[in-house]
Amino acid sequence: MPVSGSASMSASETRAPVTPIEAAAPAHRVLRHPLVDRVYHWLMAASVLTLMGSAFLPIVGWKFDWVNLHWMTGIVLALLVLIHMVRALIWQDWRAMVLDGADIRNGVRSIRAALGSGGPPPGKPGKYKILQKLYHLAAAILVLSIVASGLLMLLKIDTPLWRRNPYWFDADTWGVIYSVHGFASMALVMLVMIHIYFALRPDEWWLTRSMFRGTISRTEYAEHCDASRWQAEDRA
Amino acid sequence: MELFRYATSIYGDSRVVIGASWDLLPWFVAAGAAFIIVHAVVKAIAGRRGHAG
Repeated sequence: MPVSGSASMSASETRAPVTPIEAAAPAHRVLRHPLVDRVYHWLMAASVLTLMGSAFLPIVGWKFDWVNLHWMTGIVLALLVLIHMVRALIWQDWRAMVLDGADIRNGVRSIRAALGSGGPPPGKPGKYKILQKLYHLAAAILVLSIVASGLLMLLKIDTPLWRRNPYWFDADTWGVIYSVHGFASMALVMLVMIHIYFALRPDEWWLTRSMFRGTISRTEYAEHCDASRWQAEDRA
Repeated sequence: MELFRYATSIYGDSRVVIGASWDLLPWFVAAGAAFIIVHAVVKAIAGRRGHAG
């Protein structure tokens, strides 16, 4: 251990040197996902997995009475998406999830660096990386398509709340609605696979942990994020 | 392999689309698996190059 042997050294002299990051850090951790957003994320995950299971397991041969489970969970997903949209637009910084010029510039620089073309290195992202933003955009388009088409498909089933009325649309229009629902659902399977893969990658565990704990360490914040693009809130 | 599922119209004279073909599901799963494999291999190679450098 590189410590001086001098017995007369004071406590302040034996302490490790303070880095600029530590000097500027009043707390050890910063908030990434407040509790309400983590609860939303895991409810969304549970409902999407339930919907996929109730949709695709019967198709691959596991027969069970899936219709009631599917439409009820679909209503839950629709409500969750509605709450998320209202919360994102009113209480959250929705711009944090929108692609901006810096993202595109850094993306181009990352590609050039990966190809060994030289040039300036890519800068750090704000709260979300460019690929996270693109993923969110794709997931949003698919989920909104699924929810919209799914709500229309509710007109085809009897429930305790309403009676079926399949005559709202003609056969061709129903074909379009069902096709949108089917294609978007299958594409969402692909996105969920990719999402789980990234969550399990060791180099992304700092993000996965934050979806459980809500916070990331100051070191992770300094290492992965540009503080000028995301001013994170301190947490003890 | 078809992209859509079809049914015969109520008049019995034409086919109408009733939804996406479920035969496509394995292709979407395969596309997701392909992305994961390619990404994992690229990251592993890039990581080794980084360590070597």
